[in-house]
Formats: sequence, structure tokens, C-alpha cells
Amino acid sequence: MNVVVGIPLYVMSAAALLAIVSGAFTLPRDLRRLPEWIGLLGVGISLLTLIAMWDRPQSGFEGEIRLTQMSMLMSGIILVATLATIALSWGEPAGAGRRGEYIGLILAAATGMMLTVTAGDLIVMFIGIELLSVSLYILCAIEVTRERSLESGLKYLMTGAIGTAILIYGFALLYGMTGSTSLNVIGERLAEAGPLTSQPLLVAAMALVAVALGFKASAVPFHMWTPDVYEGAPTPITTFMSTGTKAAAMGAFLLVFTGAAQGAIADWRVLIGAISAASMVVGNIGALRQTSVKRMLAWSSVAQAGYLLMGVAVGTAFGAEALVYYLIAYLAMTLVAFAIVILREREVEDGDQIEAFTGYGRRRPWAGVVMTLAMLSLAGFPPLAGFIGKFMLFSAAIDSDMLWLAIVGALASAVSLVYYLRVSIVMWSPAPVRNVPERTLRVPRPVAAVAVTGGVAIIALAIWAQPVIDLCRDAGASLLP
Amino acid sequence: MPWVSLLVIVPLVAAIVLALVPQHDRMLARTVALAGTGLTVAVSIVVLVLFDGGSGAFQQIDHVDWITSLGISWDLGVDGISIWLVLLTTVLFTLGVIAACQHLPERGNMFLSLLLLSEVGLLGLFTSGDLVLFYVFWEFMLIPFAFLIWTWGGDNRRRAGLTFVVYTMVGSLIMLVAIISTALIARDHLGHATFLIRDIQGVPFSGTASTLLFAGFVLAFAIKLPLWPFHGWLPLAYGEAPIVVTALMAALMSKAGVYGLLRIGVPLFPDGANTLLIPIAILALIGIVYGSLLAWRARTMRLLVGYSSLAHLGFIVLGIMVFDRMAAQGAVLQMINHGVVVAAAFTIVMMLGRGTGTEDMDRLGGLAKGAPRLAVAFLIVTMAALALPGSNAFVGEFFILGGVFRQFAWMAVIAMAGVIYAAVYMLRMYQSTMNGPVRGVADEGRATELRRGDAIVLVPLILIMFLIALWPRVFVDASAKATDQAIAPAQVVAGRPLIQIAPSAAATRELP
Repeated sequence: MNVVVGIPLYVMSAAALLAIVSGAFTLPRDLRRLPEWIGLLGVGISLLTLIAMWDRPQSGFEGEIRLTQMSMLMSGIILVATLATIALSWGEPAGAGRRGEYIGLILAAATGMMLTVTAGDLIVMFIGIELLSVSLYILCAIEVTRERSLESGLKYLMTGAIGTAILIYGFALLYGMTGSTSLNVIGERLAEAGPLTSQPLLVAAMALVAVALGFKASAVPFHMWTPDVYEGAPTPITTFMSTGTKAAAMGAFLLVFTGAAQGAIADWRVLIGAISAASMVVGNIGALRQTSVKRMLAWSSVAQAGYLLMGVAVGTAFGAEALVYYLIAYLAMTLVAFAIVILREREVEDGDQIEAFTGYGRRRPWAGVVMTLAMLSLAGFPPLAGFIGKFMLFSAAIDSDMLWLAIVGALASAVSLVYYLRVSIVMWSPAPVRNVPERTLRVPRPVAAVAVTGGVAIIALAIWAQPVIDLCRDAGASLLP
Repeated sequence: MPWVSLLVIVPLVAAIVLALVPQHDRMLARTVALAGTGLTVAVSIVVLVLFDGGSGAFQQIDHVDWITSLGISWDLGVDGISIWLVLLTTVLFTLGVIAACQHLPERGNMFLSLLLLSEVGLLGLFTSGDLVLFYVFWEFMLIPFAFLIWTWGGDNRRRAGLTFVVYTMVGSLIMLVAIISTALIARDHLGHATFLIRDIQGVPFSGTASTLLFAGFVLAFAIKLPLWPFHGWLPLAYGEAPIVVTALMAALMSKAGVYGLLRIGVPLFPDGANTLLIPIAILALIGIVYGSLLAWRARTMRLLVGYSSLAHLGFIVLGIMVFDRMAAQGAVLQMINHGVVVAAAFTIVMMLGRGTGTEDMDRLGGLAKGAPRLAVAFLIVTMAALALPGSNAFVGEFFILGGVFRQFAWMAVIAMAGVIYAAVYMLRMYQSTMNGPVRGVADEGRATELRRGDAIVLVPLILIMFLIALWPRVFVDASAKATDQAIAPAQVVAGRPLIQIAPSAAATRELP
């Protein structure tokens, strides 16, 4: 039995446990950041093991855990998101006094996300999704004294529970039809079975799985929870949900649909294409009317899920490659945007409102520049990373005769300009005289580091795109036999 | 030396330096901006000197692979059409920076930085040999222009900027889809992924594909031009932008659309272009008449010049779309002419606006008394704008009308209306402000008189007009080969006889 395959996961679980345990002790002042350091260390080691194993894809535990290039790259994305979340939590009021639990739960959620994308079996995937969901229910509500935070956690729990029920139902149907929970075996059976249109039960299974994963990815029509939960949760947790959870959900989509259900592609591709198109349209239109940047980013994350799902809908290795590249670009852009929101929230009351950003670029030029870059990149302006990602996704769609999806994506992007650019315009307008008290804040270095690194990455990922695309290409190729 | 790449890099570096210049050091900002644009002019002259006018090919190519797996590359070069647009861009931006420096708004370093960034976009666009790179620069130029409107525009700037961006982006994103589709079809034909225009040029597209792709590209071009009825953003954007920006947008950004049509649309998709010839020509004709009527009724001088631009661009599009050699060469010449004339006209509007505090021409009058030198310059520009025989624009319009007449006589008849209207609205602007009793100003309008600072901007423009009027051959000859090559495939499809009188000979005959 190959146990090496689980090393990145063991490291993360161990770090999660250690962090929670460390919270049980009253730490001396010098060690008050111990949970954070445990988290950073765990993530760092886990990342290093992934890098070391990159050239040796392998599977273990009877094929239940599979470290392919795809799952390693996805795990890497999740780990970077985790790293950034811990950095963004530096000095965050949320979970004050309960840092051990706070960090431990983030690490546990990250473990769940990694388990989801490395799963070779439906059961393992389900456990991963549950682990990440349960941890996040608590994290959303961790500011127990703040009503919005509690509301956020409760809403996420309610909708999440429904999502779980649907997911397990879908998996059960899939198992019933193919006689196995192993993704490999399911793949073989589906390839043999020929077109699935004659077997409505399998179509139903695919639809249920798509619905349930769509819940986690906040794709339309299962996106309703997103704005409220995103707005209420502590902002670092929102960041984590919109990057890590999305990566995990997309990884699961790729494993189940592009990977295992490749043989039945004709039956699900229109379904996923429709979800993708609807997410782009609804997400972008929903974002138009928001006055809170957090809510706006929540709707935008619905739209972004739509763009990402284009890469699933086409069902090709190139589609997966494009998806992963866009996910990396999306990670950079989202981290920057939330980092700046976190900064602003700590300075003024209602710092997530768009008005709170009026003239912010003039006060902190570096923050203005990176936020503008993030917004332009999210809107798909060249020559930024978001553009290259969208370019690849559109290419994948057109290449697989889904021109209509590319056109919907293009028009939806044009709509998205209105709200993305509004933030950039506001940031550079003259600041009005306001009576809101401002806390002059010494910018926490980790938060600034995330914002600036992300900003640099947005440009660098585009200019030196080829090496990154090569990684994504390997990942995409590893998905299909 | 990669001179063509330097065209893009020099202003980019200057723009970055400008952004870092301390805000209060306005002198330093001016120096950097002038040095940046001046150096770019020098580079463009080097490119011109190295240019081989005898060949119609894309030349002085700087090629670096960018994303090899997708077939995208950094590929810059010039041909007979773009060389003049590059020169026009570098010169007009230098003059624009000079004009801006004299009345630098608050946060002037950022203003100049954004101005130079838009120059980067335009120069990159005019020299791109790769479709994706073309798209990158196409979008790149949009953002600085939009921010210039948002930050330094008039009262209605937010709406103006947003309308401008959204209009343009709808077209651009559809163009992006068209670009990808083009390359994918070309890949099946060529066997490898490429976005190089010169590689794709030989690919035969099926009739439907050709039409759809051409339509996809033309939508973006038509919005940028703008072609009627895609001009909804124009009055807002031209009206609200700082006037230097309006001038540069009208003079250069509009040419991006024409250039795209001539460099990509028509040569790559001759079948599609031929199918859509009549519809587009009709839109251009409507634009000529409608733009002229709007210009005639316009309230402010700025909008008058802006709408006249709509009419003039209709002429240029018509000249390209009839696939006639003479008309196309006239269109290329007219691109340069219009750029210079409209820039000069906006400069005069700027001076009048500054000296009198209003751009509303009904409130002004008799300024010639107090500002005789301005009146002379204004008259010259007016004559050029209405294409008086002997002026530079006359040559271009004559070529276009002559060529259009040979192919579709009825179009030429309608287009003639535009020439007549031009006299009406341009003379209205001149007369109502310069002649008649003195109105709307103190001291007989001496405040508007041409001063040295203004003369530095205006005189070179007028000199260029004379230069083109006297030696149009130089321009036509250098661009003739490239223009012929651009429209030749479409001419074959449209069944035009390929042997035609040499326009350069005609030019010699027509000149005074």
C-alpha cells in the first residue's frame, strides 16, 4: 500500500490538530501568534512535498487517493489560498481569543479541499467536501457576537446541508448505475455504456452531482446563498471561500465530469454549458446594483464560476488547462481585491461600502494601483492575467463548437465592466469631506504582502504566461486517460 | 535596433516615470512628457527613413514568441499604411502634450502619464502583426482614455466615460471571439496555431465563415470609428473629455477602426467584405449625411467638429469599402488629412473656449477684430476642413469620390451632399465666431489671439496641411503598394478590373 501519496494531506491534518490544541493553552505574549505560525509552516511543508512529488504522479489506498498533476496543481492552488487567508487574518478581530480554533479550522477546511481534488473515489470526495463545508460553517459564524456573522454561518449551513443531501443522492445513483464508487471504474463503465440518453437515471445522477457541486462553486441556480454569506462572514473567510472552495469545487467538477464521465460527454455538456452561461449572465447582472464591495465580489464570484465552468462544459483537456490557468489568475485577482477590502474595513466603519473607497487610491497609491489592476483583470482587460485566462476559455469553447457559450461570455464580460470599473473610478476620484471617523492604521505587513504579490502576479502571469500554461497543460493532460 | 518596438517602449517608460514623478514638481513632469513624446517622434522618423516604400510588405518586423502553445507572439512592424499613421500619432501626441503642458490640470503628472499610455496603445495597434497583440493594444488604449475622461472631464464625465467604455467593449469582445474563431479555422488549414496576420492572409474562408468573421471584426471597428448608428458614445465622450483628449480621440482613435478595416477586415475576409459591401456603404452614406446635419445644428463648436468627424469618417469608410484602387488610396490619404485637420480644428476650439469661457458659438461673434492672426489660422483650417480645391483634404476627397463614382455612381452622388454640407457647417462656425458684431467677449476678444504657446501647436499642423496639399504624391506613393495589396483580394472577389489609371499621375494633374 502506497502511503507516500498522502503526505501533503497528513501534514495539513497534523497542522490543523496542532493549531487547535495550541488554542487550548493560554499562550505567553511572545507566542500568541503560535497558531498562525503552525499554519504557515504546515502549508509550507505541504507545498514543498507537492513540488517534490510533481514529477512522480501516483495513487495509493487502492486508488482512493490519486496524486495526478491535476490534483497536485489544484492542491497547490488551495494551499496558496490557505496561505493568503492566514496572512489576511493577521490582526483580524474575527476569532480573537480563539485563534487556535480559527486557524485550525482554516487548515481543516484546506485539508478537506485537498481531499476533494485528490479523490479517486466518490466516498473520499464526499468526505472531503463535508470536511471543508463543516469547517466553513463554523468559520462563517466565528464572530459569535456579531449578528451578521451568525446569520452568515446559519445560512451557509442550511443551504449547504441541502447541497450535501443532493450530492449524496447523486453519488448514490451513480453508484447504482455503474456498480462502483471508484472514479476510474465509473469512467470505464460509462465509456462502455455508450450514450447515456437512453438511461435517464444516469442523466439524473449527473444533474444531481452538477447541482450539488454548483452549490459549492456558487453557480446559478444554486447561488442564492452567496451574497449574504459572503457579506456576513469575516472577510478573510470570505476570501477563503471564494478562492479555496471554488478551486475544490472546480477540481471535483473536472474529476467527475471531464475525467470520469468523459464517455457520457454528450449528455452533460449542454447541462454544464447552460449552468455556465446562466452564472455569467445572472452573476454579472446581480453585481451591477450592489453598493457593498463584498456583495459585489460575491456576485462577481458567481459570474466567475460561470467562466470557469466553460472549461468543464467543453469536456476536453484543453478546457481543463484553460480552467486551471484561469483559476490561478482568479486566485491572484480575488486575493488582491479582498486584501484591499480588509484593509479598508479596519480603517472605517462600513469599510466594505463602495463610497468608503472614494479617493482611497490617492491616499494609498499602491493600494489603488493593485486594486485597479485586480478590477481590470477581473473585467478581462489585456494584457493582464484575467485576459489570458478568458482568452483560453473562449478558445476552448470555440474549439469544441460551443461558439454560443463564448459569445454569452463575451457579452457578459462587457456588462461586468460597469461594476468593476466603478470601483476603480471611485478609488481615483477626489475624496469628499466626510464625518466618518478614520482609524489611522499601520498596514499589517502580511496583508500588504498578499495585495502586492497578487498585483505583481496579475501582470507576471500574463507576461510570462507560457511556463504557467505548461503546468496547466500537464495537469489537463493528466485528467484524461 | 528594434526600432518599431521602441515606438511602444519609449512612451511606456515615459508614462511609468511620469506616474512616479512627485505631484508638485510640474516642471519635471512637463520635461519628462515632452522628452518622451519627442523621443518617440525621433524613433518614428528613424522608422520612416528605414522604410522601403517600394515594397508593400509588412517590414522591419520585431518578432518574439509570447505564448507559443497558443501561437501568440509579440510581432511589430510597419507597412505603407501604418507608417503614416505612426508618424501622425507621434507628431500629434507631441503637440497634444505641448498643448496640455501649457494648461496642466491638477495632478498633471498623472494626466500626462495617461496621455502617453494611450499613445502606447495607438502605436502598438498601428504596428501589430499579430491579431491577439492587435487586440491587446486595441483595449490598452481604451483604459487611459477612459480614465482621462473620468478624472478630468466635464460635469457629466462618469456617464460619458462609462458609455464610451461599454460601447467599445461590446464590440471588442465580439471581435475577440472573431479573432479566436479566425485562428482556429486557420489552424485547421495551416496545421499550426498562429495569429500572425500575414500567415492567415492566404487562408481561404468559406463564404459564411468569411461573412460572419468580417461582421464580428467590423462591429468593433464601426463602434470605434464610429460608423452610424454606433456613434451613441460620441457626443458624450467628445463633449465631456478634456479638449486635448477629444482632439486626440477624434484624430487618432477613430483611425484605429479604419486601420483595422483596411489591414485586417478587408484583406483577410474578402468574400465577407464583398457580401457586406452595400450595407456598410449605406451606413457610411447615412453617416455622411446625418453627421453633416448634426454638425450643422450643433450647439457647441466642439460638438460641431465632433459630428463633422462622423461625416468625414463616413467618406473614408466608403473609400475603402468600394474596393477601388483610387478610392482606397484617397481613403488612406484622407485618414492622415482628417487627423491633422480635426486636430487643428479642436486646437482652435480650445483657444476660443479658453479665451472666451464658452464653446457655444451662438454667444460669440466678431472675434476677428481682436484676434486677426487667429482668424487667419482659423480660415485656413476651415478651408481644409471643407476640402476647398488646393487644400490637402481636397486631394483625398477627390480621389475617394472619383473612385466611388467609377464603381457606384449613385453613392458618389449622395456622398457629394457631404461635401456641400461641410461648407455650410464649417463656414457657419467661422462666420458666427469671427465675423459680425463683437459678442460675448470683452476687449474685442483679444484674449483669444494666437499667442506663441498656441502657435507652437497650430503652426506645425498648418504646415503639415500645406505639405500634403503640395506633395500628396509622397504620401500616396509610399502607401500605394500596401493599399493595393490590402484591397486586391476583395477586388478579385468583386470582379473589379485590375488595370486602372495611376492615381499618382492624376494627383499631379489635379494639383494647383
